Amino acid sequence: MSKMLTTDHGADKSVVDLLRFLLDTEKVSGVLTLRKTNTSGSLDYGLLTRSQELDRAVPLMPVMPANAAQSLSLITPTQKPIAVVVKPCELRGFVERIKREQGSLDNVLTLSPTCGGVIPLDTYIKKSKDNLTKDYYKQVKAGEIPESIRPTCKACEYFVPMTADITVSVVGEQNLDSKCRFILNSDKAVSMTEGFGSVENGDLDAKILDDHLKKREKEKKALFESIKFKQDGLDGMIDVFGKCIGCHGCSRVCPICYCLLCDFESRNFDQNVSLFEKELEQKGALRLPPDTLFFHLGRMSHMSFSCVGCGQCTDVCPADIPVASVFKKIGENTAALFDYVPGKDVNEDIPVLVFKEEEFKELGE
Amino acid sequence: MSTDSKSGGRIPIENGIEQTLRKVLKESLKSDLIDALLLPVKVPSGDSYAWILMQDPALVEEEASPMAAVMPVQGAKALKSLTRKGNGSLRVAAMMRPCEVRGTIELSKLNQINLDNVTLISYDCPGALPLSDMSDAPQDTEEAFMGLLSERNFESTAVKPVCQFCTEFSMGAADVHIGMADPDTSQLLLISGSEKGTAFLSATGLKVDEEPSAWEKQTDSIQKKRIQQMDKAFQTIQPMVEGFDNLADTFSNCIGCHNCQSACPICYCRQCYSDSKESSLESAYYLDKAEKRGGISLPHDRLMFHVGRLSHMSLSCVSCGQCTDACPVSIPVAKVFSYVAAQTQQAFEYKAGKTAGEAIPLKEYKEDELKKIHEMTKSAESQESPHE
Amino acid sequence: MGKTFNPKITAFLCKWCSYTGADLAGTSRLQYPTAIIPIKVMCSSRVDPVFLIRAFLKGADGVLIGGCHPGDCHYESGNYHTRRRFAILQSIFDSLNLEKDRLRLSWISASEGPKFARVCNEFTDKIQKMGPNPTRKNMFI
Ligand code: SF4
Ligand code: SF4
Ligand code: SF4
Ligand code: FES
Repeated sequence: MSKMLTTDHGADKSVVDLLRFLLDTEKVSGVLTLRKTNTSGSLDYGLLTRSQELDRAVPLMPVMPANAAQSLSLITPTQKPIAVVVKPCELRGFVERIKREQGSLDNVLTLSPTCGGVIPLDTYIKKSKDNLTKDYYKQVKAGEIPESIRPTCKACEYFVPMTADITVSVVGEQNLDSKCRFILNSDKAVSMTEGFGSVENGDLDAKILDDHLKKREKEKKALFESIKFKQDGLDGMIDVFGKCIGCHGCSRVCPICYCLLCDFESRNFDQNVSLFEKELEQKGALRLPPDTLFFHLGRMSHMSFSCVGCGQCTDVCPADIPVASVFKKIGENTAALFDYVPGKDVNEDIPVLVFKEEEFKELGE
Repeated sequence: MSTDSKSGGRIPIENGIEQTLRKVLKESLKSDLIDALLLPVKVPSGDSYAWILMQDPALVEEEASPMAAVMPVQGAKALKSLTRKGNGSLRVAAMMRPCEVRGTIELSKLNQINLDNVTLISYDCPGALPLSDMSDAPQDTEEAFMGLLSERNFESTAVKPVCQFCTEFSMGAADVHIGMADPDTSQLLLISGSEKGTAFLSATGLKVDEEPSAWEKQTDSIQKKRIQQMDKAFQTIQPMVEGFDNLADTFSNCIGCHNCQSACPICYCRQCYSDSKESSLESAYYLDKAEKRGGISLPHDRLMFHVGRLSHMSLSCVSCGQCTDACPVSIPVAKVFSYVAAQTQQAFEYKAGKTAGEAIPLKEYKEDELKKIHEMTKSAESQESPHE
Repeated sequence: MGKTFNPKITAFLCKWCSYTGADLAGTSRLQYPTAIIPIKVMCSSRVDPVFLIRAFLKGADGVLIGGCHPGDCHYESGNYHTRRRFAILQSIFDSLNLEKDRLRLSWISASEGPKFARVCNEFTDKIQKMGPNPTRKNMFI
């Protein structure tokens, strides 16, 4: 049985109170949280060090302006303790980054909600925010999958954070506006929250989460079926990625793609005119800039097994390509080869760094 | 629109503007002047276009959409990918919008495009429709654009915001230009802008002996209206960018994805300074900075990115609007950049991409220029206002 | 029927084993198809999956990696990594229903000239049956 801490305030306020407590008692020097930057509801991640700065914090806001894993890489390792409130897939993304030596969890207290999903940026910016979040929470409280969330969120099975020190119970919490349950998953969580409230034994409600998981699994099946590669092969791929404008926004916002200069933007694959000319002779016609599919297939081969399905790539794609849905599907299959779950365990190596002598005997003859 | 006299020729429009154009282009490909055409082609999913380099004349008639409704990739970028490593023997004719030609000229000045074997073809552009229109409703978008072309409508408010006040919508540095604004709508007017252009037109069998004065008059009058539009637009943009708070507010939804920069034809660096190691500091720095201020915003330096980009490239901004198309959070990036670019370019009496000969302003200097700055420093000195 | 199909197969061969095996096949006057275009690499693990993808998308009808037998890699474990990466790439091709049979991984030691010739013959036959890679003709790639 885990330890649990309950407050008699709504979830958002309770998380802010906890952050304030941590800052005021100097248990941490800074907190990372979503916050509103203006009255029209623009959001950023604030790294805040004074508790009065928390007035505009909206730690549980179901929007992801950027996958926080990238910012966590920027501000860690840290000598001074900090607390961060991030979504489960952001945490998983950061764990994957740490495996690539892009940051550290030392001195970081992680808080993460059971996640009801994230509203696409575009929807959040264009629609009435009050109605959006009202409808969203109505469904989340009922343990339903909110209408408005990203397709990959609907299909996400990992909405319970895997490695958070503190889990904030959100999904299926009928009384989300009047009370909040924090599950303390680590000794660090227990000692850091000491003095904030009384701790008892308790845990997330397995039945509620299980029911919710079933709904997500169903959505996942539907999503994967809607990606219609199976029938079409190369043509199917062009059908989906043919309108890609090659902006590479998808890889820049990806928490896994940490390279400062992506292989596909480097000089490695530049061609002389004469080479284009040769290809042109053979094909009669070719695309410029070249390498549209090459980029996506190449990226899949480099990172798909670590894809956390956060959906950031779909959000930023100017060509409205369902990048995340495809990568999630591909990634599940490549990760499954190694029984790997991205973001589950920070001490596990990424599959391409290790091997077993006994595996894949059927490959190579 | 320009001082030197141009000459042109006409062919009757049969089966629509595009089909007529395809024929001309096909002829050029069959001649021994041009080895390949660079043209927009509709992608198989039907909701966008890709730049295709074509050698097979049969494909031109089957596939080409020489005047595309939207501009998914700026043409200058397509041409850059072909010739950035220098020149080959391939002789290419590229069919582009005027802002794509200007982008191309800028990139050639920046040594990213080699134009030796390239013939540039442009047309009077009614404006491009927003890219998202095409993803949302491909057929309607295409029809809407064809409507603009056939009605010779240069005042549409459906086109991208920067296109609505684009004053350089007509012939610039292109070798061949298609006078879509010409009052005679039964024929296609093709104008030569250079020796290359004349050669191209005669290769397609066209007689080029006419002074297109009616077209010039028409483009002049459209331009006058566009200048008015620009003045109007700039009045609304000014309060969006002047003063730190306003600028910050305009970019308040920015997530730091840098799509705007990677879609920009001018930003050719493989690794932007703002994405490089140099632009980030030791991890401890960020918390230290937050402690001094109470808090910092992440992803870091989002506003600095935009101001930095302006300082690096606004002199070459061609107001194509690609940055706005690419922005996932609908920030009017191109309006801001066009507005600022108009000021920086004016300071050097420079118009990005307009003429091929001029060097970009940052490559040279005159001793007696920018008197204003001189005066400003002088008066600052005399006031001796001590800085903290 | 149009022109006869002459397959092209890009073969990344590890210098210590497979490439030497290919040499041996040559000096032993064993026939192997001209379709094979060998590229020498220091170790099969030098082959980033991206190389295979590029060859495939640029129209290679088949792509072969040849390395030392598991346990025999000159750099001890390079080929185990190669195997994992190959598994990843196959899975991606599989998920996308791209023709994964155009990719092949073989362990061929320096002394296995005849095996090299056999693998090449088999692979070429298979590709011959599969026909040309559709990427060869697709302008939207
Ligand atoms: S964000 Fe979209 S358009 Fe840009 S590279 Fe990725 S898939 Fe292509
Ligand atoms: S800044 Fe925007 S409008 Fe200016 S050239 Fe670049 S993409 Fe075009
Ligand atoms: S494309 Fe939009 S969100 Fe992305 S960096 Fe540019 S302004 Fe910011
Ligand atoms: S040296 Fe042959 S596979 Fe590594």
